[in-house]
Amino acid sequence: MSIETIGVLGIVVLFVLLTLRIPVAFAMFVVGFFGITLIDSSNSAFGLLASEAFTLGSSPQLVVIPLFILMGNVASITGMSRRLYDAAYAIIGEFRGGLASATVIGCGGFAALSGSSVASALTMGKVALGEMDRYNYNPRLSTGVVAAGGTLGILIPPSTGFVIYAILTEQSIGRLFLAGVLPGILLLLLFIVAIMLICTIRPEYGPAGPSTNLRQKTRALAGALPIIGVILLTIGGIYGGLFSPVEASAVGAGVVIIIGIVTRNLTIAQFWEAAKDSVSTTATVMLILIAAHLINPFLALSHIPDAVGAFILGFDLGAIGTLILILSIYLVLGCFLEGFAMLVLTLPIFFPIILQLGIDPIWFGVLTVLTLEMGLISPPVGINVFIVKSVAPNVSLADIFRGVLPFWGMMIVAIGILIAFPQISLILPDTMFN
Amino acid sequence: MLRLLRTAADGLISLSAIIGTLGLLTEVGVILVDVVGRALGAPLYGSQDITTMAMVILVFGGMAICDRRGGHIAVDLFEPYFPDMWNRITDILAALMGAIIFVTLAWAVNESAKLSDMLNLSTNLLRLPKSWFQNALSVFALVTAAAMLLRALELAISGRDTRKEDQI
Repeated sequence: MSIETIGVLGIVVLFVLLTLRIPVAFAMFVVGFFGITLIDSSNSAFGLLASEAFTLGSSPQLVVIPLFILMGNVASITGMSRRLYDAAYAIIGEFRGGLASATVIGCGGFAALSGSSVASALTMGKVALGEMDRYNYNPRLSTGVVAAGGTLGILIPPSTGFVIYAILTEQSIGRLFLAGVLPGILLLLLFIVAIMLICTIRPEYGPAGPSTNLRQKTRALAGALPIIGVILLTIGGIYGGLFSPVEASAVGAGVVIIIGIVTRNLTIAQFWEAAKDSVSTTATVMLILIAAHLINPFLALSHIPDAVGAFILGFDLGAIGTLILILSIYLVLGCFLEGFAMLVLTLPIFFPIILQLGIDPIWFGVLTVLTLEMGLISPPVGINVFIVKSVAPNVSLADIFRGVLPFWGMMIVAIGILIAFPQISLILPDTMFN
Repeated sequence: MLRLLRTAADGLISLSAIIGTLGLLTEVGVILVDVVGRALGAPLYGSQDITTMAMVILVFGGMAICDRRGGHIAVDLFEPYFPDMWNRITDILAALMGAIIFVTLAWAVNESAKLSDMLNLSTNLLRLPKSWFQNALSVFALVTAAAMLLRALELAISGRDTRKEDQI
């Protein structure tokens, strides 16, 4: 059997196992391990397994993952995310569609703490859906806003998606974090524009909330100050060169814990549960990463990335055309595959093409992560939609998907803008890292 | 018998998770002390050695509880279209596959630990022997494998799926 045939068979087996609901990491382990054994030797497979498991498990760069997850978990438990929402609510809730916009801002703020889209959707769903329901918001708008707003978690730093991308492509995590800031803000603003458009066309979808006086606004803003301070400290610390991303994650987690203890919003039991949950989530991510480092050498040995690269380059679409083609493939795959798994499975194939075409890997990282976000709200898998459904059981899935549609459209607009103006993604990392 | 095994397995999973969680807290503490120390002109010597080795403990200490909580990502797009019996068989196969993977991992890393011992491999500054942490990794992997094997047995014999129960 030729090496290429083994490679193709490996990919077929991988997709069969995934379809059968075998966990993504296990499927990649099996295919990678046996693939390397067949092409090279069992000694190579065992050696690679042992070295990659320990090397990745002790990677200094990856320390950011558990620490940012811990920071998000503690912020969620202590109600800090709620105070962000309350502040936005007090300031813009009195306008038409204001509660929905406050939810998006709350999602963006929480995203800057947690790095997780699912956590953002779940937390803000619990906080905001009840409020919007109370003020007779149309369920399509309210659930759509939470599902879409939650996706900001993977783009606005700290983002687990960027960390995974950085590890797989050997790019700087700090550069990627900074590259995500402006696109994240752009997307947040586009979401607010979508809300304004919806409420202009259908005013009954988002009636104005209660007005608040200056004292209430000030008090709400003051309540959110500690958490705004943490965001500024971590992201600003990286940007200002005060901390490395790893140090920023530890400082952020430490400060959030201290705030929780000082304000008496964090008990020892809650803290322990948040830490245990962070450990469990980290294990999920790390096992997939280790498996990826087993399957990627197999793919490389089987020359599959070369063949796919030659096929795509054969269309002769030029750099931008090829970039759009790859993003379109991500868009379709995102409807069926979990975003993180998709990233791990496809980057070894697409990334060499990107480098060959001279496309900036940081810019490509931002576009890729943004496209992955779309998968979180695309039918039929859209995990954020299911998360929102679990918080709003009375709203049908069809209604939530319809509600998400305008925001999905805004994500396409954002991708278009970011392709047309790469500087939006690159200006911060280029200024900071020269 | 299964109940007794489950109690023992849950105890081991909890212990493994506790050690992993302590690894996480060590990371937070050590990095914070290092950052504050650096600002005061006295960074913590060997902090990276401690954080990276604590990372090994937290990652692999968390594997068993991750499985117990059903944390592994799977593509469940077609689950509603498969018969219940089919889904149950898949769950059993997945758990068995996981057990085999973790036993293989434990064995491979243990062999690597022997090599590290022979070559006296250690961390850069504090000279912590790498084999200690490789052996810890192997033990955590074996705990995870045992827990997965038990889950496969429970699914096959009684249909009990601990991932859907109250979490430990």
